[in-house]
Amino acid sequence: MKILIIEDELDLLENLCTYLGKGGFLCEKSSSIQDALDKLSNFTYDIVLLDIMLPDGSGFEVLNFLKDKQPETGVLIISAKNALDDKITGLELGADDYMTKPFHLPELNARLKAIYRRRKFQGQKEIEFEKIRINTETMETRVGDELVVLTLKEYELLLFFIANKKRVLTKQSIAEHLWGDNVDFLDSFDFVYQHIKNLRKKLTSAGTPDYIKTIYGMGYKFTTD
Amino acid sequence: MKLFVKSTLFYLLASLIVFTVGGIVTYKQVKKEVARETDYYLNETFRRLVGEIKSGKSVGVLNNDKVKIELLDKTMVKDTFRVYSDTISKHPLLNRPEAYRRLIRISKVNGQFYKFDLMDVLIESDDVYEGVTAAFVKLFVFLGLFIIAANTIFFRWILSPFYQSLQQIMFFNVKNKDAIHLPETNTREFKLLNAFIFKMTHNARRDYLTLKEFTENASHEMQTPVAIAQGKLELLMESGDLDQDQLQLVQGATQALSKLSKIGKSLTLLSKIENGEFSDTRVSNFSEVVAQNIAHFRELALLRNVEMNSSLPGTLELPIDSALADILVSNLIKNAIQHNLNGGWIKIALDEKKLSVSNSGLAPNIPTDQLFNRFKKGQQVSSSLGLGLAIAKKIADINNWQIHYDYAQETHTIEVLFN
Repeated sequence: MKILIIEDELDLLENLCTYLGKGGFLCEKSSSIQDALDKLSNFTYDIVLLDIMLPDGSGFEVLNFLKDKQPETGVLIISAKNALDDKITGLELGADDYMTKPFHLPELNARLKAIYRRRKFQGQKEIEFEKIRINTETMETRVGDELVVLTLKEYELLLFFIANKKRVLTKQSIAEHLWGDNVDFLDSFDFVYQHIKNLRKKLTSAGTPDYIKTIYGMGYKFTTD
Repeated sequence: MKLFVKSTLFYLLASLIVFTVGGIVTYKQVKKEVARETDYYLNETFRRLVGEIKSGKSVGVLNNDKVKIELLDKTMVKDTFRVYSDTISKHPLLNRPEAYRRLIRISKVNGQFYKFDLMDVLIESDDVYEGVTAAFVKLFVFLGLFIIAANTIFFRWILSPFYQSLQQIMFFNVKNKDAIHLPETNTREFKLLNAFIFKMTHNARRDYLTLKEFTENASHEMQTPVAIAQGKLELLMESGDLDQDQLQLVQGATQALSKLSKIGKSLTLLSKIENGEFSDTRVSNFSEVVAQNIAHFRELALLRNVEMNSSLPGTLELPIDSALADILVSNLIKNAIQHNLNGGWIKIALDEKKLSVSNSGLAPNIPTDQLFNRFKKGQQVSSSLGLGLAIAKKIADINNWQIHYDYAQETHTIEVLFN
């Protein structure tokens, strides 16, 4: 998967590339609109990660360009502005998603994969991990041929895990993925454990190994190791 | 009271004083003048009579009801100077007592001494008084009408730039995109006033924009470094060779960063509300906003063993920005979940007068009304920013709603009264 990151903060740009690179993304970096438009004119990308506030203008320019010239490219806006107007404008102009800084890298990873899935595999709506097969259209999960009945939160949790397989996921990033920004007010994220426990039980009783490893005091990792 | 009425009344009062004093002065002056004129006339009469006696007229012919001339014994007397006096005598025609002026003088004419006793009717004080009063009342009425007319013209014409400026100020709003439009005037004071108004409104608009820009920038400038730091910590977690303790340190740092970011966002939100940036007052279905928030938080409440009950009307339309309505309700519910007991409860009731959110919980250790202040917390809950209720209060304030916090019988209750 080839992605272009347009972001003027070089440190952030570096973080994103390093993290996404480990997950198998091919990253190109750009820190200005002019440079981004040059790159977009010459190459095609699966997804563009776009900051709205750039030194030489607004990221919306890039968005307009893409909509015009390369409508098949997915766009994820990352903005420091938590302004509703920007979000609406961005989505109306054809962006696939909008994230506000700061964000958890696993969350970004999951969202990029979701965009990629929607954009590229229009026919194929199945995600596979070992024996687990998830149909994103019918939201059905199977282990082998056996249907595993999951609640909505468990289903979302499983998708999040698979998108971030072999990665450490903090309880906080899981909580924010499942409930949005609104969980910050709770003292701890221990309640995430309830859902993990249920998901783990359902998967193992369907015959999978226990993929969910607990990292004590910290979070979880979805891995075959 | 309008400036026009005030100034007109003031001028009328001032002229009333002037006319009263003027009337008294005029009355005295006229009286004095009349007496002097009468004296002069009596003296002239005396001289005429002396002339006539000199020319040989007999005294008897000259005497009448106003003139009495007596021949005196020449050894007994000598010339006297004029003696004037006031007297009252019967008027021959009107047949009633009238005020008279009298001149008595002894004078030597053709070698003989005569006593002249002359009288003339004085113009009465009453007559003078009536005359002066009538004249002054007429004048006063005329002046009054004139003042009203002149004042009307003055206000319409001279003060019109002032009233136009006033109108502009009344409709001034710092959020206006265009500068305030003030009328042209050649009056120096109004020029100064307009220059001042223009400067002040210009500054107010500029400060508003600067503040707005600052709050937006503050959020941007702060969130980006937080995002960078958080990203680096997440990369560190990924690196794989950290032990348990090190991972917990990283985790702690991540949570602190997340809190920092939330504080920044909340403070930005507070100043945005204060700046009136949420001014969409189209009617929101408040009941639906509450219902959606209850649905959203029900699971989180249950995960903390808190039971949530509510009684809501089907629809309740209130003129509030829908984003603010959502923030207000979610902050109140979050607060109720956060400061609850394990196995506690929350009751949410909404009617056309108020929204009330009550929950079980420990007694707050500061007075409840202080809980609306920024960074004040009733219990030291580490995850609490201490800004949720400050934001709720700010939202209530800008909508002119009342918000109260009560604690009684182990129950916390926050009521929002709609006006």
